[in-house]
Amino acid sequence: MTQLSFDAQPTAALFDASGAVFALGDGSIRFEDGTVVEAHDGAVLCAVRHPSGQGVITGGDDGKLVWSRADEVVPLADAKGRWIDAVAASPESGLLAWSSGKVATVLDPSDAAFKRAFTHERTVSGLAFDPKGRRLVASTYGGVALWYARIAEQQPAPMKWAGSHTGVAVSPDGAFVITTMQDNQLHGWRLKDQRNLRMGGYPAKIRSMAFLSSGKLLATAGAAGVVLWPFVGSDGPMGKEASEIGFEEGAVVVHVAAAVKQGRVAAGLADGRVWWADPAGQGLAFVKAERGAPICALAMSDDGKRLAWGDEDGQAGIAEL
Amino acid sequence: MTDKTPVTVLTGYLGAGKTTLLNRILTGDHGKRYAVIVNEFGEIGIDNDLVVGADEDVFEMNNGCVCCTVRGDLIRVVQGLMKRQRPGKPAFDAIIVETTGLADPGPVAQTFFVDDDVREKTVLDSVTALVDAKHVMARLDDSKEAREQVAFADQIILNKTDLVNADELATVEARLRGLNPLAPIIRAERADVPLDKILNRHGFDLGRINEVRPDFLNPPHGAEGHVHDADCGHDHGHDPHDHDHAHDHDHDHDHGPRGHAHEDDIKGIALSLDRPVNGQLFTQWLDQLLATQGQNILRAKGIIDVAGEDKRLVFQAVHMILEGDLQKPWGEAERRWSRAVFIGRDLDEAALRKGFEACAA
Repeated sequence: MTQLSFDAQPTAALFDASGAVFALGDGSIRFEDGTVVEAHDGAVLCAVRHPSGQGVITGGDDGKLVWSRADEVVPLADAKGRWIDAVAASPESGLLAWSSGKVATVLDPSDAAFKRAFTHERTVSGLAFDPKGRRLVASTYGGVALWYARIAEQQPAPMKWAGSHTGVAVSPDGAFVITTMQDNQLHGWRLKDQRNLRMGGYPAKIRSMAFLSSGKLLATAGAAGVVLWPFVGSDGPMGKEASEIGFEEGAVVVHVAAAVKQGRVAAGLADGRVWWADPAGQGLAFVKAERGAPICALAMSDDGKRLAWGDEDGQAGIAEL
Repeated sequence: MTDKTPVTVLTGYLGAGKTTLLNRILTGDHGKRYAVIVNEFGEIGIDNDLVVGADEDVFEMNNGCVCCTVRGDLIRVVQGLMKRQRPGKPAFDAIIVETTGLADPGPVAQTFFVDDDVREKTVLDSVTALVDAKHVMARLDDSKEAREQVAFADQIILNKTDLVNADELATVEARLRGLNPLAPIIRAERADVPLDKILNRHGFDLGRINEVRPDFLNPPHGAEGHVHDADCGHDHGHDPHDHDHAHDHDHDHDHGPRGHAHEDDIKGIALSLDRPVNGQLFTQWLDQLLATQGQNILRAKGIIDVAGEDKRLVFQAVHMILEGDLQKPWGEAERRWSRAVFIGRDLDEAALRKGFEACAA
C-alpha cells in the first residue's frame, strides 16, 4: 500500500495506462510515479480518463479544459473564465465532452477541427456517453437530454422527470439512463420506451454511482452501506428490491468505485474509512480502517485489482486488493 | 476538519451601492480571503480569480414543501469553491453571495438549510440588504422584490445618507423598521461600512439570538409609526386601532404619495407574553402557522418562556424552514417572558396575537 499526502484536496482519483492519478483542488495533477503537472490556475472541478487511456482530462475553475500526461500538458478548450462543471469521455468512439453552464461541447481529440456545441434550457450538471460513444446524455434540472454526439444541427431527445438531476450514467448495455437527484434518490429511464424507474429510499445525498459485474449491478453511495440495484433482464431494477452490503449503523458511504467488467465494489465513507467487497462473497475487506476526514475521491483500476482514494485533508493512498 | 465557512448574502437593487461595497471587500487591505459569487460577470470592474459568476437557477425541491425553492447554481458553486480547501484550513474566510435587484432572497437563504453538501461546509451568516437613502422610498413603492429584500434582512445598510436631509432620513428609517423591526439599520455613505460590521453577524445561529425585543424598535410614543400595545402602560384616550390605521390624523410634514409605512403589504408583527407558554401548544401552533402561511412569512424569530423549563426555547424560521432549540437557562434575576417577531406579507396581526396568546400555560 502506498500512502500519499498532498497539500490540497483531491477532486478525483483515476487510473490511466500509467497507474493511479490524482487531480487536486490546487489545480495540479499527481501521477503515481511522482510526477506533478500544474494543469490549472485554480481548482480541478471534474476529471475523466482520456479516451485513449493515456493521461487525464480535467476541467477547472479557471475555465480551462486540459489533457495532462506525465510528460505533456495540452490545453483542449477555454471557457473564458467560466467554470467547467462536467466532463465525459468514450474510449469506444474516442470522443470527449465537457460542459460549462448550459452548453455541452463535444470534441474529437483525433480531429482538432471537430466541435459540436449543444445548448440546454438549464445548467448541465452531468454528462455521460452511451456504451458505443455515439450518444451523449446531459442531466439538467427537470430531466436529461440525449444528443447524437457527432451531429451538428439537431433537436435533442428529452426525457423529463420533475426535480433537479445532479449527475448521470448510462448502463453498460445501453438500455437505461440513470440520474442522481437532489432529493436523495435515483431516477431512471428505460430508453426503448422511456418508462420511468424511481429508485428512492436513500437517507443521504447520492454523490457517486458505478456499474459492476458486466453491468448486472449498479452500486451507489448515499446510505449506511453500498446500495446495489440489479440490472438483469429487460426490466432492469423495475419491480425489484435493492440490496445493501456493508451496512453499519451511523456510517455514510459517500463514494463508490467499481470496474465494470469485474465483480468488486469499493466504498469510501464520510468517516474516512475505505473498504471493498465482492457482492457474491462474504464480508468486507478494509483497505483503510482508521478514521479521518471524509473520503472525497475513489477509483478502481479496470482489472479490479487496485484501488486509489483520497480524503478532504489531502491524505491519499493506493492499494492492491 | 475545518470550521464551516460563513456566507453573507448581499441583496439590493441596481444603484444601491453593491458593486462599490463588493469592490471594497475584494480590494481592501484586510488580510482575508473572500470569495464573491456574482450574478453578472463584468459589473465588478476588477479581475479577481475569487469572483465567480452564477446563473440564477431557482428550483423547487421535491420534498413536498411547496415553498422549498433553492438556488441550484449556488449548490454547484459552493461545492466547487470547497474543492480549494486545504488540509486544516478553510478555503475562504467568508463567501459573499450577491443577488440581483430582482432576486427573491428566500431561495438563496433556503439553499443553505436544505442541501447536505452546502450545510456540511458552510453556514449562512446573514442576509444583508443594501438600500440607498435617496431612492429607496420609490423602490419600495414600485418593487415587491425591494420590499421583500428589506423585510428578509438580518441587517440593513442604509447607503448614501449624505444625499438626503435629516427629515427624509427619519422617514426612510421609519418605513424600513415597519417592514423589518428586527434588522439593525447601519447608516453609510459610499458604502463605507466597516467589514467587521457586515460579516460575522451569526444571523441564523440560535445560540446568538439573545434578544428579540418587540418593543425595542418601536418608535417612541408620539412619533409616527408608534404602536400602542399592552406594555405601553398609559391611557391613550382614543381608540388604538384608529391610531394605527387611519390616516386622518394631523401630519405636520409632507408625505407625498409615499411614507405611509403602515400601508406596505409586508410588515413585522411583534408578539409578547408575560406568562409562561405551554410548550406543546406553542410548537403545534408554530408548526401549523408555518405550514399554512409559511409562503407569506419571510422571517420569524422568537425567545419563548416554556412552562416547567429552565432553559429558553429559541426559534428562527425562513418561510417553512424552522429551527428551534432550548438554549441557555434563564438568569435568576432575569425577566422571564416570551417574545416573537413575524415578518411577512398580508399577515393577520389580530389572529396571530390571538393564536400566540392561546398558547399560555
